[in-house]
Amino acid sequence: MVRRLIPYLMVLLLGGLMLAGTAAYAQDRDAGRKVAGMCRTCHGLDGYAKIPIAPHIGGEPASYLAAQLQAFRSGVRKHEMMSVVAASLSDAQIDNVAAWYAGHAVAATVTEGEAPAACTACHGADGMSQAEDVPNLAGETNIYIDTQLKAFKRGKRRHEVMSDIAGRLDDTEIRMIADYYAAIEIEITQVD
Amino acid sequence: MNKLVWSAAAMAVAGSGAFAQGANVPDNLEKLSNFQQTGVTEFTFIEQDGDYADGIRETLKKITLPSGFKIDLYAVVPDARHMAVGPQGVVTFVGTRKDKVWSVTDRNKDRVADEVKDFAPSLQFSIPNGPCFSADGFLYIAEQNRVLLFPAAEFFYESPDVAAFNLVAQGDLIPPEEESFNHTARVCDIGPDGMIYISLGQPFNVAPPDKLALYDKVGIGGIIRMNTDGTGREVYTYGVRNSVGHDFHPETGELWWTDNQVDGMGDDTPPGEINRQVAAGQHFGHPWYGGGSVRTADYEGEEVPVEVVMPIVETVAHAADLGMTFYTGSMFPEQYKNAIFSAQHGSWNRTEPIGARVMVTMIDEEGNASIEPFAEGWLDENGEYLGRPVDVKQLRDGSLLVSDDLAGAIYRIWYEG
Repeated sequence: MVRRLIPYLMVLLLGGLMLAGTAAYAQDRDAGRKVAGMCRTCHGLDGYAKIPIAPHIGGEPASYLAAQLQAFRSGVRKHEMMSVVAASLSDAQIDNVAAWYAGHAVAATVTEGEAPAACTACHGADGMSQAEDVPNLAGETNIYIDTQLKAFKRGKRRHEVMSDIAGRLDDTEIRMIADYYAAIEIEITQVD
Repeated sequence: MNKLVWSAAAMAVAGSGAFAQGANVPDNLEKLSNFQQTGVTEFTFIEQDGDYADGIRETLKKITLPSGFKIDLYAVVPDARHMAVGPQGVVTFVGTRKDKVWSVTDRNKDRVADEVKDFAPSLQFSIPNGPCFSADGFLYIAEQNRVLLFPAAEFFYESPDVAAFNLVAQGDLIPPEEESFNHTARVCDIGPDGMIYISLGQPFNVAPPDKLALYDKVGIGGIIRMNTDGTGREVYTYGVRNSVGHDFHPETGELWWTDNQVDGMGDDTPPGEINRQVAAGQHFGHPWYGGGSVRTADYEGEEVPVEVVMPIVETVAHAADLGMTFYTGSMFPEQYKNAIFSAQHGSWNRTEPIGARVMVTMIDEEGNASIEPFAEGWLDENGEYLGRPVDVKQLRDGSLLVSDDLAGAIYRIWYEG
């Protein structure tokens, strides 16, 4: 499962800006910044999480962020805190706050380990999203990634690609993947 | 296979002598081979000086306390959550919601830690939030879905390979399919009956009806207890939403605990709770009650099928009451004897944030309790958190340690008069 060695200290500044630029054309980032007042205690205003159970969302594709907020709002995805927050959001607020967070710049620095081959096509060897509707994994708490993979594996969270991939992983492989991406260092630069 | 098993085997031999006194080590040595080994045999040390520590000290100048009390930085500890102070006063272990447990040592006894390093770096932890000690020096660490036991941890922590035993093996604390990341910060404590008590938060905002039977059976949304050899597990407390702090009253031996209450019902409702439990099996109201006597919308109008114990203290809504400890030291003025010191982590979805402070609860002779702020100032005028207290524990000299998982620090509060 884990094959490819990646060079030490591979530094990639990837398109938090670039991806957001395409997705956020019609959104109001200033309005999104106000909505982010609801998010900042856990996710930070710049999208660098302040508590381990929250993912870093600064520079994540707006399409992914909006899709998750919609899923929490509709009940398709459930979380003790996010279900409460998303329930109060309008479509415009979701789009705007997704644009706010997507618009920050994020840079990843890989320092160790072998990138898991099952993941790199979409999530990159450096844990940065390679496509719309795909989250960055770099620097997330390992238990967060572990929890999400197990949720896909056990059917608590569903996705046309992830449910299948996670379903073929055992708990040890899941933790190895989680540890790999968690070890990548990220730096988020707030873009106002 | 590796050094860990070897040292554990050596420990088992030694265990018949010095280290087994007064404690029952589970007979499950073979399970050690199932522990995830990271191959890491070197410690990670956390720098205690420099700009980061200075920044925290700057914040602490803003903290207000009653007259005569002082606060200062005790240690820089990343992600610091619940603490266990070693009974010999050598080392304090600090849990996290990530994958590390930190050992914090004040070698020169100037009441400021000199060394912070990870505990048992060759072991793979998952949400090791809750360390606790038995009086005879056995360290327990309650994780997401396992409880490990470390004999003589205050002695053996100096080595990266420590003897570790399962108290509750991986996957046996709760059914693995019920695992979550939120509401999974376990805490533990050894009761006056010698049993270990472990909190098991339920992962929902309001527990859904189809989960209740399973949760009551396992003790999810409750507090369980068992003997320290792993036998005799039972659910001690029912109807808990997510308790992340408990302690036993120093005179009555009753279990008191905090609980975090339902979100999404408004800024000022329902109240948070401190509860007093006087008998095994008592029910405290979740999911029919969202906090205090406030009914949840999900179960509105339904008849409550159990007898419910109401909280002894209602706290301000959404402040997130976490770790608590009864004060038994002699340093503080007499009025604080047997008072509860507890941490409010601070709200996350209130229009105006509230909390991020240390509270004190006084209990009068008739058993009435009243709560008020003791140390505050971590919430600034812009509604931004400068720190978020998690747990309060007492050092042997009667001063208090306060952990903070936002700043990544432990503070010490002492009384000068």
